[in-house]
Amino acid sequence: MSYKIPMGPYHPALEEPYKLDLICTGETVTDAKLHIGFNFRGIEHLAETRNYIQVIALMERVCGICSNIHTLTLCQAMEGLTGLTPPPRAQYIRVVMAELERLHSHVLWAGIAAKLMGFKTMFMTCFELREKVMDVLQAISGNRVNYSMNRIGGVNRDIEDPIALLGMIDVLEREMVKKVIPIFTTSSTARSRCAGIGVLTHEKAISCGTVGPVARASGVGQDIRKAAPYAAYAEMDFEVPVQPDGDVKARLLVRALEIMESCKILRQALTKMPPGELASGGDKFTFVTGTATSRVEAPRGEVMYSVSWKEGARNPARVHVRTPTFATMPAIRWMVLGARLADTPLIQASIDPCYSCTDR
Amino acid sequence: MSVFETIQEKLGVTEPWLEKGGVHWLNPSPLSVRELAKAMIALNARFITITAYQLPKEEGLKLEYHWDLDGQLLGFPFLLAGNTIESIYDLSEAVDWIEREIHEGFAVDFTGREYEPLLLREGETPGVNLREEVKK
Repeated sequence: MSYKIPMGPYHPALEEPYKLDLICTGETVTDAKLHIGFNFRGIEHLAETRNYIQVIALMERVCGICSNIHTLTLCQAMEGLTGLTPPPRAQYIRVVMAELERLHSHVLWAGIAAKLMGFKTMFMTCFELREKVMDVLQAISGNRVNYSMNRIGGVNRDIEDPIALLGMIDVLEREMVKKVIPIFTTSSTARSRCAGIGVLTHEKAISCGTVGPVARASGVGQDIRKAAPYAAYAEMDFEVPVQPDGDVKARLLVRALEIMESCKILRQALTKMPPGELASGGDKFTFVTGTATSRVEAPRGEVMYSVSWKEGARNPARVHVRTPTFATMPAIRWMVLGARLADTPLIQASIDPCYSCTDR
Repeated sequence: MSVFETIQEKLGVTEPWLEKGGVHWLNPSPLSVRELAKAMIALNARFITITAYQLPKEEGLKLEYHWDLDGQLLGFPFLLAGNTIESIYDLSEAVDWIEREIHEGFAVDFTGREYEPLLLREGETPGVNLREEVKK
């Protein structure tokens, strides 16, 4: 006999509200339905009522974790409509901010995953590490959530002493190599909760159109930083970690390895940061009529913005946002099929979902 | 042969590509959206999203289908005479949520598929979010 277990919209395993209706036979999940929309704020419509300065502040609030990525993608699209090219130093600062954001997002996720495994010590370790990253973000921008770093044509603030940030990267890398990666990959608790759990096959990852670490953990090696480099990524030397297994462990491992790659990128960006201006164009620029599109690799995968403008208008005519969780979340249905009910909180969390992004 | 020439050959379209605003655009006419989707899937292109626009006055709606092939962002515009266009959900399950979102936001009917609410609307009326005549 099958029965339905609703998980959410409010549940200890969910950071934000969404609902997963699990159809079970005994302890085994045989089907699942996802319900979203609890965080819908009508942001795409609101964007049409904001001018070119206000819309940046608005889109920074699409997501509380990858806020910088949203303004970066939006500004890149608006730069396509104004003809402005950010100066080299601004491009490097954009890379630094994007990678710091990836670090804090991935470490945050590792902490939450540890908590869902019942591994509280690891949760505390990860959050202690995340604090170090957050302190750096605060030191650069003055903020811990909405950094207000991006503007059309560049960035708002400088990183005055880039070399001083290298110490934090050394600490983070050391802790990852000595503690986090070995414990997550060798401890029996982590192995028993993650290995072979919530498998998304390579074929399903492609057919569902998944992106980011979820796709890479199923053997799909796509990363916009490599495939279509933006900001200063073309000048950075880094690898794109890919794992073939498609289970929770593979997603964990991909993110852990991405933390190491982010440290590598940060070290290059901070040491090679060129001197110069922070923004081009000043306040003198005009929008041409048309649509510009920009893609960026957020911590959860590809973000895409399409921005339309009419020449002489104060507000955009249309802003469309495709977030990574919107692309990846439907795959949860396939991950939980055949899983034990007790594993479903960790499986759904393993995609590092952002419901605010998804709903907008 | 470049990616773009390969696509043109596969689609049988001779019209040139136009690179604008970070996208390589191709007018797929006279192909239908389903013929385009079949060709893109055969080329192992990755579906990204559909962007819907309500055109001024009585010009109707425009849907832009975005695909990625080898890191190139491709755009294919389709003008809708009415409110309907064929669904490609049965060809690519990646389009499921965006078709549902556009149905609810712009009241576009993607024919040939069943809908479940994506909870992005009030009540049962589609189009409350982004259709000009409704959102005002």
